Amino acid sequence: MNSSQRESARQKDANSRRVLDEAARRRRARKALEALEQDNFHDDPHANLVLSKKIPKFEESLDGKQTRRRKSKNFEIFKQRFRKSFAQLLEEEQMNRPEPPNYVSAQVPPSKFPERHFCAVCGFICNYTCLSCGARYCSVKCLGTHQDTRCLKWTA
Amino acid sequence: MAAKHIFVLDNGGFNIKAGFANNSEPRVMPNAVMKAKSERRRPFIGDQLDECRDVSGLYYILPVQKGYLINWDTQKDVWDYLMGKDCFNVHINTMSLVLTQPYLNFQSVQEGLCEYWFEEMECESLLTINPGTLSAYKYGKENPSELCCLVVDCGYSFTHLIPYVQGKKITEFVHRIEIGGKMLTNHLKDIISYRQLNVMDETYVINQLKEDTCFVSTDFNGDMAIAQKKAKENPYVVDYVLPDFTTIRRGYMRPKDEAGSGEQVIRMNNERFAVPELLFHPSDIGIQQMGISEAIVYVIEQFPSEVQYHLYKNVLLIGGSCSLPNFKERVEKDVRTMAPAECEVRINLASNPVTDAWRGGCVLTKDPQFSSQLVTRREYEEHGFSLCLQRFDV
Repeated sequence: MNSSQRESARQKDANSRRVLDEAARRRRARKALEALEQDNFHDDPHANLVLSKKIPKFEESLDGKQTRRRKSKNFEIFKQRFRKSFAQLLEEEQMNRPEPPNYVSAQVPPSKFPERHFCAVCGFICNYTCLSCGARYCSVKCLGTHQDTRCLKWTA
Repeated sequence: MAAKHIFVLDNGGFNIKAGFANNSEPRVMPNAVMKAKSERRRPFIGDQLDECRDVSGLYYILPVQKGYLINWDTQKDVWDYLMGKDCFNVHINTMSLVLTQPYLNFQSVQEGLCEYWFEEMECESLLTINPGTLSAYKYGKENPSELCCLVVDCGYSFTHLIPYVQGKKITEFVHRIEIGGKMLTNHLKDIISYRQLNVMDETYVINQLKEDTCFVSTDFNGDMAIAQKKAKENPYVVDYVLPDFTTIRRGYMRPKDEAGSGEQVIRMNNERFAVPELLFHPSDIGIQQMGISEAIVYVIEQFPSEVQYHLYKNVLLIGGSCSLPNFKERVEKDVRTMAPAECEVRINLASNPVTDAWRGGCVLTKDPQFSSQLVTRREYEEHGFSLCLQRFDV
């Protein structure tokens, strides 16, 4: 028998496993952080609502309606001028106030203390790192859960 | 100027605190327009939410993003409701307004605020100011012998550290940590959804869960070891009964040994203190920034040593996230271990961290110098936004 044809189950397993590189891991971490900034996870529950025109609208009175319309015209112009996303504001700020103190300079520097690691499954202090995706785990049991549920499947 | 002609509006990222300067308590309401699954007819503005029976899957539209005013439309809805007949019925064109805005607010937002209040609302006079400045002013009035104060404002969007020396804000040493109540709630939502029950849509309920069960650990590693024990000898395990909005209107904490009758529960263990821990170690979720205690020491150490001494004994905690139990004790313990031994460390927690800035605003209106801080509508029409930029210290 030719030795080159012999297969080791362990090696085959190790080679077939997809390992995320550093960039992909960083991208995942950034996405997870962005998710933590979201106001809502789900979509607007009223988004697909079609209101029947027959429903009487009680709140609007005639004179109230008029003042509202007058105001809203000015407000529309105002809104147009000040409609800026956070990224736009930040960019503008860097043009206006390049010298500290500004938004960027006010951020605190990284901590002097070493990072702590917690099991991605149970949340306790842990010692091990998943080879494929870099998540932390504390025991074989948690590793099993991690591989079954999140490892390389997780789209945050 | 009579106090009843001054309206104080602390415009937070999550809660608005508002009232006339002669009120004893502000009205606190969400700074948001919310939509419920159960109520298809209308959105809820601010504290109209109290009229909503079923708040499951509540959808938030917030005017403020990352702490800064972005969505003017929503903000106008909330302000209109607040100023309107249903709430305060403010006749703004004969009123002075004290309005808070975030530290180092973007110039464009500042300009928008001034233009909105002077040109849209035609208010009589305006003062925009940082919430920390109001609290520091109040602190200075209550403790006249103290010369300095370091305000730690731990709110919804982020945490700021603002040093004041003899009542004056030292802007170049203002620092920001990008962790606040929102991050905690979202993180808690994430881990519960992974470990137990999908609650990703239930921001409102999980925020209550956080407020009801979470606390700050004063001995993190020790508490972690305790939490690892079996439920029987583990004091931290609790069941949180989720509201179903028919019989249970609001969730509540139930001791673990009490038997339930089929309500939906979430079992809380290490989550109770591991989540608030993010405030002290943002690196736990990969945010490479200092925690609150370390940042306090970092900010103070940039001052000359004679000022440091005064700052260490006048740290003031404000903002909603400071209401977590043991917050003050933890900060005290951490700062004590890091501060020079000869310095006295005194951490003060505001009696009500949420409304403290609003109260400070009320105290400020009684200051003899108060009217000189205001910009009147006439002055604005004469000099425009540049005067506001000069006079308001943001």
